[in-house]
Amino acid sequence: MAAALRFLRDRADNVAAGLLAAMFLTFILQIVSRYVMNSPLGWTLEACLTLWLWLVFWGSAFVLRDEDHVRFDLVYAASGARLRRTFAIVSAVAIAAGLLAALPATIDYITFYKIKKSAILRIRLDVVFSVYGIFAVALIARYALRALSLARGGPIPAGTDR
Amino acid sequence: MTVAFGLSLLALFALAGIGTPVALSMLVAATVYLAAKGQDLGLAAEQIIQGLYDSFIILAVPLFIVAAAIMNAGTISDRLLSFCVAVVGRVRGGLGHVNVAASLIFSGMSGSAVADAAGIGKIIIEMMTRDGRYAPGYAAAITAASATIGPIIPPSIPMVMYALVSDVSIGYLFLGGIVPGLVMGGVLMGLNALLAARRGFAREAPVPLRELPRVTARAFPALMMPVILLWGIYGGATTPTEAAAVAAAYALVLAAVFYRSLSWGSLYAIFSESARSSAAVGLVIGGALIFNYIVASENIAGQLAASLQGLEIHPLAFLLAVNLLLLLLGCVLDATTIILVIVPLFIPTCRELGIDLVQFGVVVVVNCMIGLITPPYGVLLFVINATTGIPLRDIIREIWLFIAVLIVALAAMVLFPELVLWLPRQVGYLG
Repeated sequence: MAAALRFLRDRADNVAAGLLAAMFLTFILQIVSRYVMNSPLGWTLEACLTLWLWLVFWGSAFVLRDEDHVRFDLVYAASGARLRRTFAIVSAVAIAAGLLAALPATIDYITFYKIKKSAILRIRLDVVFSVYGIFAVALIARYALRALSLARGGPIPAGTDR
Repeated sequence: MTVAFGLSLLALFALAGIGTPVALSMLVAATVYLAAKGQDLGLAAEQIIQGLYDSFIILAVPLFIVAAAIMNAGTISDRLLSFCVAVVGRVRGGLGHVNVAASLIFSGMSGSAVADAAGIGKIIIEMMTRDGRYAPGYAAAITAASATIGPIIPPSIPMVMYALVSDVSIGYLFLGGIVPGLVMGGVLMGLNALLAARRGFAREAPVPLRELPRVTARAFPALMMPVILLWGIYGGATTPTEAAAVAAAYALVLAAVFYRSLSWGSLYAIFSESARSSAAVGLVIGGALIFNYIVASENIAGQLAASLQGLEIHPLAFLLAVNLLLLLLGCVLDATTIILVIVPLFIPTCRELGIDLVQFGVVVVVNCMIGLITPPYGVLLFVINATTGIPLRDIIREIWLFIAVLIVALAAMVLFPELVLWLPRQVGYLG
């Protein structure tokens, strides 16, 4: 199980690195076409923005560990184990519940865009935006599982020790 | 302020306070607000998706992150350091000056203070503490202090974020940072010289002058980077976002082709690590966009502007008060959060009071960078502690004087707008 999870995490990491590399190369292509060849490509900007949207939500859903996030953990790091457990449970429940409550409306918002296509690449916008849905579902699952594990006495996420 | 907004703030502070990732706290707080208002909960998704999908300037952020990672992985930093040692190493306290000078040059390439401290900063701390010539705490403190210059001299990731929330031209903001960045370098070198004389710091064996051309030649392609960047932006050739991509591409060519210091493995590590930081920063930007939408629909900033106008407050008093507040917030909050969430509240008031938004932006960014080295929550202190193992209390004992002189530099930028605005005006800024 742990090995399978690590395998999946590594592949998710490959995807994130690939998205960023693709974005970088597309940008270079845009610059070369515009300034060197003097015939700007229309699609590069939209491709970059799409890749960026996917990078942020894909990365946040599957790649970022707790310590990668911007966090204010002075209080958390200064607390004892019991209080930390409570804090971690409250955080996990709040994130899972908040995203779950918004999920139906979020899916509605995304699927509404099936009627629209992006300006230049003509990709259906519900496909472009679907990554936010994936992100929401992944986070709900992850934090719900974490809340359960914490409530059963599972390991507490580490604070950055200072 | 409505009840819904109060509840949402409560959720935000409570969650962020107990260590929930800031971006997710803002997302949950936004959902609380929409629920309490009885509005469509899908609005949060709409704001975050459209905000990230529509904004061309934010793309500069991941590109500058990649550029900095490439420069740190290749030998570019080492070459710059040997150049600086050759030029300023020979006086008393030489390595302290080298430290500041290297930051000044490196900041012309990287837009991030953390990249500066973790990359070139780590190498120079090793040089300074070898043979016990400098106390580790001092080496770490001057490194942290000089890393704050990174995002002041262009390029600058925090300035891109400020441009995003204020609609000020990035080009003028970048130009406005150059003189203040040099001033900060100046006060840090001054302090180092003073302490070197008082504490009897070491001199470096002078590098013979005939070596200088060789050392310069080795570092020359790297030294050209700021020139290329600035020429690209102000020559009107590229937008700042494109300049970020050019910077990354140039660093890649230098490291891989010229200096032959990059393997495929390290290249993958660069993109993987940069993807991670980009996603984390992107999520905070997204969270801030939703939260700013709420603050805008509550018209908090407008009310603040109106009430301050009633008080007939002097612009200078307002600037000083905001700076004091931001310095205090900087002790406990992250710079990204301050720039994206707190600073937009003051922008309408600045407009009312006639404070120039380029000056305000540069001052705010300098202020937030000082916040990166103020204990107890100072990201740069943590980064140096993590990469070098120098204990935090040793760093903190030495950091106070550096913070003090940087605050003096900040005060000068508040009191004399010309420091910031002179250079942008030379190229046609009409503020």
